[in-house]
Amino acid sequence: MSHLVAEFASETGLKDALQRLRAARVGELRTYTPMALSGEAENSPLPLIIFVAGMIGFAASFAMEVYANAVSYPLDIGGRPEFSWPAFMPIAFEIGVLFAVLGGVLGYFVVNRMPRFYERIDECDLMRRATRDRWILSIRSGDQSKLARAREVLDLLHPTAIEELLQ
Amino acid sequence: MTDIAASHVFHSESPRGGSRAPLLGDPVVLPNATNESITEHICAITLRERAFFWWWIAIIPATLLAGVLVVAISWLFYAGVGIWGIDWPVAWGFAIVNYVWWIGIASGGTFISALFYLVKVDWRTSTNRIAETMTLFAAAAAGIFPILHLGRPWLFYWLFPYPDTMTIWPQFRSPLLWDFFALLTYVVSSILFWYLGLIPDLATVRDRATTRGKQILYGAMAMGFRGSDAQWRHYHAAYGVLAAIMAPLVVSVHSIVGLDFAGAATVGWHSTQFPPLFVFGALLSGFAMVLLLIVPLRHFLHLEDVITGRHFDVLCRMMLLSSLCLAYAYMMDAFTTFYGPDQADKTMFIDKLIGSYSLVYWTTIFFNVVLPQLMWFPRLRLNQPLVLLISACVIVGMWCERYTIVIMALRRTHLPSAWGDYHGTIWDWATLIGSSGLFLTGILLTVRIMPMISMFEMRALVKSRWREGERS
Repeated sequence: MSHLVAEFASETGLKDALQRLRAARVGELRTYTPMALSGEAENSPLPLIIFVAGMIGFAASFAMEVYANAVSYPLDIGGRPEFSWPAFMPIAFEIGVLFAVLGGVLGYFVVNRMPRFYERIDECDLMRRATRDRWILSIRSGDQSKLARAREVLDLLHPTAIEELLQ
Repeated sequence: MTDIAASHVFHSESPRGGSRAPLLGDPVVLPNATNESITEHICAITLRERAFFWWWIAIIPATLLAGVLVVAISWLFYAGVGIWGIDWPVAWGFAIVNYVWWIGIASGGTFISALFYLVKVDWRTSTNRIAETMTLFAAAAAGIFPILHLGRPWLFYWLFPYPDTMTIWPQFRSPLLWDFFALLTYVVSSILFWYLGLIPDLATVRDRATTRGKQILYGAMAMGFRGSDAQWRHYHAAYGVLAAIMAPLVVSVHSIVGLDFAGAATVGWHSTQFPPLFVFGALLSGFAMVLLLIVPLRHFLHLEDVITGRHFDVLCRMMLLSSLCLAYAYMMDAFTTFYGPDQADKTMFIDKLIGSYSLVYWTTIFFNVVLPQLMWFPRLRLNQPLVLLISACVIVGMWCERYTIVIMALRRTHLPSAWGDYHGTIWDWATLIGSSGLFLTGILLTVRIMPMISMFEMRALVKSRWREGERS
């Protein structure tokens, strides 16, 4: 697999190139940008993961409270009900939040397969500025003719720099 | 790129030069700040070879104070809680006062970073990192007190519900146990939220670092963030939802602290207005502490271009607003006491007003309600020494409020024969002062190694302002 990496000075430049290269079907396209690209797809499983984790935490801690205070070790305090569910809510809420936050942060790493300290693309010098002020686009393909075609498209779009990473 | 010259990169372009005073009508970012200049400046601070001189001046007393805390805690663990002023009837002393005070200060930071993220206000962006860092160390300072207060602190794990050989369980109906879970969740969530917010900036610092050691340090913390499309997409999806969870969490945490008191049938505590009263107080002290940190950090880290008159204006307004809410709660506290039937409540309240500790109550009123009224005047909101003074007074005033709530109520119980008195001992004071050393040391260490302004969010802010300028 070889990479062709192009650097753009602006977001519009990158998005323009992205559109044309997608149409030209030259290989796998990836962007590395200093902030999120506007107008791209926004679907992510994380809100669902957070919701499910939170609900599991809520249900599990509520069940634990009921088991502990009503089944395993019931205390008769002036005949008050053992299944006093409103009093169990605050802890169920807190543990639900705890699970949701853990689910969100750990889920983020799992979904992105992080930590990933090394990727082939890191060899490319242009990447150093992707976290600062440059908009980077990489085209990955095993087919040299595709990369050559991508290069032709890119040359018309005036990227500020182009770098190639061969096999 | 990590030399001092780079850290003044803003001012080479600033028409006024030097330390620019905040002005009314300032935009949220001064026009001469660009994405490059902000990133350059913040990274230069983080990657400096040697710490600033003022940093050494500040860290030495801070660590000495933290040392006082270590000595006070060591002596406490050796000798027991008898070294404190607590006794009957005042069995809750400084430990609980300090705990409630610190956790209140912490809440303000989460409020700024989570709630104001959800409502998408532009001034949140350059203050949220400082506010979250404040939350982290205020919550850490708060977290030690309940454990110190236990008497047998080595048995603190009894609070955890685990199947033990005694075959008993914690009492889940007790607000004191709710508080344990609330604090646990709050501390863990604050750390994770802070860290998640840092990841893109850590990647920036990694890519700007010039020495191998720093590249490894920041690279490890950045977890391989490269700003790829998927990383950003999932990032914003997760961060938005977590912010929406953190906002109610902070309200629940401080409400539960209020219920610690309201749940007990003690004179002056048994009131349904305690949860909101505690939340209002928490916000007031939180905003005051954010201002106390922002004024010196803005000056010493040269953040004049990103922390402007707009931030002073809005944070002081928030302080005023929370002060008015708190004033309302104080009024209702008096009203419900005298409207209600309980003679002991009334006796206790009059003792608060004119008794031997009345000075504490009137300090509370003066510092938390009267003094913040100066913030009605726009000019005074930009007067940095005055803002610092008022914020410091509010912090002291909030401590006095907690002192009033915890100690005044306990010394006047229902039975006059059981009345008693309370004074903090030298060890009480040492623990209080030492805890501020812990807080300051944490803040200063973070300032030294972490980017104190959220660079990637500033990029989006600068971009959106640029677009607005284009339209108009």
